Amino acid sequence: MKFVAITSCPTGIAHTYMAAEALEMAAKEMGVEIKVETQGSVGAENQLTQSDISEARVVIIAADTNVSKERFTGKTVIEVGVKDAIKDAKGLIQKAIDIKVEDKKVLSETTEIKEEKKVERKGVYKHLMTGVSYMIPFVAAGGILIALSFAFGIHAFEQEGSIAAALKNIGGVAMGLMYPILAGFIAFSIADRPGLIPGMIGGMLAATVGAGFLGGMAAGFIAGYTVLFLKKTIKLPKSLQGLMPVIILPVLSTLVVGLVMVFIIGKPVSAINVAMSAWLTNLSGTNAGLLGIIIGLMIASDMGGPFNKAAYTFGVSTLVVGHTSMIMAAVMAAGMTPPLGIALATIIAKKKFTPEEREAGKSAWALGAAFITEGAIPFAAADPLKVIPSTMVGAAVTGALSMIFKSAIVAPHGGIFILLIPNAVTNLGGYVVAIVAGTIVTGLMILLLKKDIIVEK
Amino acid sequence: MNITELLSVNLIKLELNSKTKEDVVKEMAKMLDEDGKLLDSDKYIQAVMDREKEFSTGIGMGIAIPHGKSSGVKEASLVFGRSVEGIDYQSMDDELAHIFFLIAVPEKSSDEHLKILSQISRKLMHKELRDSLMSAKSAEEIITLLEQ
Repeated sequence: MKFVAITSCPTGIAHTYMAAEALEMAAKEMGVEIKVETQGSVGAENQLTQSDISEARVVIIAADTNVSKERFTGKTVIEVGVKDAIKDAKGLIQKAIDIKVEDKKVLSETTEIKEEKKVERKGVYKHLMTGVSYMIPFVAAGGILIALSFAFGIHAFEQEGSIAAALKNIGGVAMGLMYPILAGFIAFSIADRPGLIPGMIGGMLAATVGAGFLGGMAAGFIAGYTVLFLKKTIKLPKSLQGLMPVIILPVLSTLVVGLVMVFIIGKPVSAINVAMSAWLTNLSGTNAGLLGIIIGLMIASDMGGPFNKAAYTFGVSTLVVGHTSMIMAAVMAAGMTPPLGIALATIIAKKKFTPEEREAGKSAWALGAAFITEGAIPFAAADPLKVIPSTMVGAAVTGALSMIFKSAIVAPHGGIFILLIPNAVTNLGGYVVAIVAGTIVTGLMILLLKKDIIVEK
Repeated sequence: MNITELLSVNLIKLELNSKTKEDVVKEMAKMLDEDGKLLDSDKYIQAVMDREKEFSTGIGMGIAIPHGKSSGVKEASLVFGRSVEGIDYQSMDDELAHIFFLIAVPEKSSDEHLKILSQISRKLMHKELRDSLMSAKSAEEIITLLEQ
């Protein structure tokens, strides 16, 4: 059995080498082979070759510095501090022996061209994840504060000057920062600091033109690559170079990204929204179950984008003061299931989520319960092709059941808090069944569709 | 590689006087200063203590290797100190530390010197050497042990 390891410490004088020696001694004693690359103050010694890495079962990184993991794509990596290797090298190697390794054979057989593509995809994925991880706490902060305002009663926030109104306002501001942060940090990951400006502005525009989180993601990538392109093409004499980061890049990149968001993304988005709204109004008379399915699919597809907004607006338009609405009930139930289903998935399919996402899963319960569909966005943004179909199908099941059970509600918000009000929901039992069913469907679909992530400590 | 480039009899103390972590560093740094290896003693000690704050260089097994890279250092050098009684160095294994290597490295040091230090660090992981260092009777014996 062969392993490779990297050791590295901040000063690179002593611990780096002690850890290396400890690992080599332990490996010898345990009868396994190990090659340790030391990254100390003299640079990298005993460097790992590509064949060392591909032969190794597991990569051990014992470092208190930032060790680049690019070389280890597709490998199982165990990361610990340098002192952990000095203290208990045997335990560390034992862990490397015991850990489950995914079968990566197929990967190593791919041709060079394919490998290049893989690296490219990894880059895009990394940028996306940077944006998502900065966004997660904003969603949690905003969503939970809004949910808290509903705890005072679902209409409490309408009272100006009340605590509930303040909570809803604060939460709304936090949620409003969601797209700017997502787009800003996607662009930041691509183009460093200059990317942040057009990214955040583009993200804000995605929100104002109603393009939802998909629009926000687009804004981030457009902003990042625009800045890279401008940096490459604009050549200035040395005396003017100081103007690049403070004036030229911000103005030009924001101009480009802003115009794209308003005209190229904003126009079709509002056209889709108008068309969908009109189409839905025409559907009013059709089969209730079918309408529920359509509503569910729309609500859970772009979460905050034109489809979602059209369905929500349609739901609200069917509310008449003092009367309940079946369509509004379907809209709300369908909007609750995406975060709930994902929260369920983070429990039944732990291996498919990063530790950070599993933590975010806990707040997704609260957000889903409060009908804050946005709780699902960080997960959907991180893995749209797997997560969005799952939330759509789950929400469609919920929408259909809610309509078939003839559940109806009186208000366009509130989530679980509305269920607690007597007579606010018609056929409460059926309504709960509809929500639970969709939650389970979404959870199970994610379990089936999503891939395991690489094991990392 | 020759360890005598870094370590001389002047820089070896078989019985340290200090009882605390900070005093050990100061006592050994003073030996460096007196041997003309430092430009700015305070600056160097600061670098060592800053390093300790990140996490203790008391790596357990009775050994501590305080070290600092600083412009207060004139040339790369090494101090060996021993305390039979033991000193609480907040080591990883919560045991007392008996053997101390204080390492001083200037901002710009030759790779040759750094390699010697890395070799010593590696050697210290072996129990036989640690035991021999503990029982050595003279400074010359210490140098011979480390040269092997």
